[in-house]
Amino acid sequence: MTGKVLHGPRDLDPFAGDLPRLDDALSRRIGADPENVQRGLAQLVLTIVELLRQLMERQALRRIDGDTLSEEQVERLGQTFMELDKRMAELREEFGLDEEDLNLNLGPLGNLL
Amino acid sequence: MIELYAITDNPGPPLPDLAPLGALSVDGLAAVYGPASSGEVTPEALWRHEEVVEALMEDRDLLPVRYGTCLEDEATAVRAVAERRADLAVALDQVRGAIELAVRVLLADERPAAAGPELSGAQYLCAKARSASERESAIRTLHEPLSILARASRQASPRAPSEPLRAAYLVDRPAVPAFTALVSRLQDANPRLRLLCTGPWPPYSFTES
Repeated sequence: MTGKVLHGPRDLDPFAGDLPRLDDALSRRIGADPENVQRGLAQLVLTIVELLRQLMERQALRRIDGDTLSEEQVERLGQTFMELDKRMAELREEFGLDEEDLNLNLGPLGNLL
Repeated sequence: MIELYAITDNPGPPLPDLAPLGALSVDGLAAVYGPASSGEVTPEALWRHEEVVEALMEDRDLLPVRYGTCLEDEATAVRAVAERRADLAVALDQVRGAIELAVRVLLADERPAAAGPELSGAQYLCAKARSASERESAIRTLHEPLSILARASRQASPRAPSEPLRAAYLVDRPAVPAFTALVSRLQDANPRLRLLCTGPWPPYSFTES
């Protein structure tokens, strides 16, 4: 594998963080039993929720940049998004999905998120 | 059952002998195949597949076939390729003479993920804004110059706030040294970041159609 590194820092450990994912991915991707079909539906729904969450978060960041919000409003927004983020993580966990699973490949347009 | 490895030009150079391989000729294209590996999908099986595709890649242009594409027999494979022949020929033209390089970027001063619970709402948004601006700046200072040396590029969504850029580049074979030299110059110019460039890979990110 190191033969494939054309340029990199001496210490590759920080990049290896997601290597164990391969095994996980393999054990999850196989078989189309009813449970998997249900998971597929959850995946699609959560992808759309995640898209909306990210759009709203970006909108909030823009408004903060524009200085149109009071400190209290910023704090409340932040709390709300943090809470949403946590709920999404819980739902992902429940359906055995990764952050990366919540994305759609739109072909030539690239990825949705 | 047979397993497809890649679509290449036909005729091509002799097939490497690290696996029992055959080539099916379909009107100017060849589908390289081997006996389907039976049993479970394991990381080892994936690497074996990758090894074959990379050996093929050394002396020919190819479209890597998604791992696990198994077909009944040779005749079925020929029919399947013939049906998509026009698309495949165009896709093969698009990667002709090029290979894929992957670049990943991490923030060097990676702080342990800010302790979740005690984060205030404002701090949370502030961290979000910071990682968004890290991303924008990585695109400007790294992705854009690298894209100029590449025939095409694809950005993947970064997996963590500490990873501002993850991208694949389709690079002409002769331009690979210039590309890696640029990566190394960009590393020197950006000590706050850690750059990792790997390859050459089969053009996995550039064969979707």
